[in-house]
Amino acid sequence: MLTLKPLPANTKPSLLSSLTPFRPKTQTLTKPFKPHSNLAIQSVLQWNRKPELAGQTPRVVVITSGKGGVGKTTTTANVGLSLARLGFSVVSIDADVGLRNLDLLLGLENRVNYTLVEVMNGDCRLDQALVRDKRWSNFELLCISKPRSKLPLGFGGKALVWLVESLKSRQEGCPDFILIDCPAGIDAGFITAITSANEAVLVTTPDITSLRDADRVVGLLECDGIRDIKMIVNRVRTDMIKGEDMMSVLDVQEMLGLALLGVIPEDTEVIRSTNRGYPLVLNKPPTLAGLAFEQAAWRLVEQDSMKAVMVEEEPKKRGFFSFFGV
Amino acid sequence: MTTTSSVSTPQFHSFPIQPASLLWASKHWFSPNVVKPRRDFVLSFSLPNCNRVLLINPKFRFRAAINNDNNNSANPEDEEEEEQCIQDTGKAVVNNSESESGTTKLLDWKKDPISKFQGMITTLPPFVFVMKRGAGSNFVMKSRPSRPGSVADLVRRGQLRSDRRGISTPLKYEDPFNNPLVKVGKSNSTIEICGKVYRLAPVTLTEEQQAIHQRRRSRAYQWKRPTIFLKEGDPIPPDVDPDTVRWIPANHPFATTASDIDEDLAQSNVYQKHGVPFRIKAEHEALQRKLEALQNEQKLNKLVIDTGNAKEFERPFRFNAKANELVEQNPLNSQSGDSKPSKPDRTPNPFNSSSSSEEMQKP
Repeated sequence: MLTLKPLPANTKPSLLSSLTPFRPKTQTLTKPFKPHSNLAIQSVLQWNRKPELAGQTPRVVVITSGKGGVGKTTTTANVGLSLARLGFSVVSIDADVGLRNLDLLLGLENRVNYTLVEVMNGDCRLDQALVRDKRWSNFELLCISKPRSKLPLGFGGKALVWLVESLKSRQEGCPDFILIDCPAGIDAGFITAITSANEAVLVTTPDITSLRDADRVVGLLECDGIRDIKMIVNRVRTDMIKGEDMMSVLDVQEMLGLALLGVIPEDTEVIRSTNRGYPLVLNKPPTLAGLAFEQAAWRLVEQDSMKAVMVEEEPKKRGFFSFFGV
Repeated sequence: MTTTSSVSTPQFHSFPIQPASLLWASKHWFSPNVVKPRRDFVLSFSLPNCNRVLLINPKFRFRAAINNDNNNSANPEDEEEEEQCIQDTGKAVVNNSESESGTTKLLDWKKDPISKFQGMITTLPPFVFVMKRGAGSNFVMKSRPSRPGSVADLVRRGQLRSDRRGISTPLKYEDPFNNPLVKVGKSNSTIEICGKVYRLAPVTLTEEQQAIHQRRRSRAYQWKRPTIFLKEGDPIPPDVDPDTVRWIPANHPFATTASDIDEDLAQSNVYQKHGVPFRIKAEHEALQRKLEALQNEQKLNKLVIDTGNAKEFERPFRFNAKANELVEQNPLNSQSGDSKPSKPDRTPNPFNSSSSSEEMQKP
């Protein structure tokens, strides 16, 4: 995976990168970065390094799972906003036609006036249908259709291909990432969502129902020519894994044979943030799951994968001076 | 009355004591509790227990700074007992001997700013009253949880959401892999996240294993992505490979895919970057054409100008546009597959009735 990066990876100690998912600090902001419209936003950020964007833009990523309720939409919202916070321009597409929810998770439900259906019908232009997030203005949302409207999707997935083409040639520049939130199942909605994608993120939970669906979906994606598939294992409980009541992340990986983009621990904050319409990664202080989503977003940018996973909890060792905060 | 004296005297005696006590005094002097009784003065003035107070001018009345920390939550009756009314004739006439002694002490400590202020109360009550009114109103403002119309008030009323205001602040840490909440152990075998230490296990998946899985899946799932959706029962178009057709049942939401716009038009709509959207433009042009047609027709008819009908002209115009759009939005009604320019032909002509109004538009 490191070889895919545009810059040589010799700045990173091989030992560290092979053992852990953590990278040493590198001053990547000094490197020539793609001139883009969100320079002002970058200056607001207090990062002293940025992940290196690998691959060609726009990176069209479909987030899929097969089974419903495993966290596709949550992943789309959190990874999308994490990418936006990292300074990349993101267009997030809710391709879940009948049961769209991404707007709710992002707290943008009141701002969706036009959808792709209206764009195709000629009721509005594409730029009018894109809903810009006010928190991070380089994040935009596009819904495919309104919940109860009928779809003129006789064109199959062509509509999304046109959409990507149109976004590529837009005036303010091509977005770095186009995230497509795929509906559950492998029906027409799934076909529509994956048509324009170049790579896929498979979200799964460590249970056998989700894994069987995931394997099927990966098979279909591979048949369709999408080879770059990474998985996010969601709702992991290390305590249950320790008690052998839940498959470990490595077990999941053994069954599916996919590179790991992230491991998201079970976190009650996920439900709370969903209800608030405020994605987890914007929480202050960051929560466990929010940090994991940020790390996953970072790896997505660099086309990297996890080299190590957290397996169990250890009691924290307290030093002699720990009482004094040392 | 004993309560009054016992509470009010410490205040006066505390003046010579240095700044901290001054603060105490001043704080209580202007505390909202001082102001509050002023509000219910109108009520209490009519109460019989005010008879014990000699009231010459009832406009000004103040409660001595008796609000010690222990009686902040006193009920109004108790406060009533503790209050003193002072007249504004130039002399404070108080029916309390303890308070009188307090005022004499006040005069002794005139050099102290607070005592000066109190002296002013005794000498210039009307002026102080004005001041007190001002101070009171200020403190009433502050004592409220939020001013009406303020952002805090909007949040309280549920019009704004406190957690969604403004732009979220940038991250304070610089790296999701190395920050105060995420620390890697020295040996790279542990990680501490949010105060909990986890052991790290290396990922053992190799490229070969991935390839084995891919081969397994390619054997198990042989699939060709459909490129066209057809309703069950529809004929397959001649140029379409039957393997690429996704058959969907007639009651599926996707089955209502017959669109009133053709593929090229939809594509150009998605590609459109500037200008008026296609449908809006088409509707406008259609109405324009209809209008012109009507004008030409009426020129031939040579109808008389009727100003009354001219006003009615605008309304069916807009109504027609709406109705037209609704017809277009519902794909069930628009199975004909017509594109926009044919739309005006489908709609009833509402202008026939107001034909005479067209004369207004003519130059």
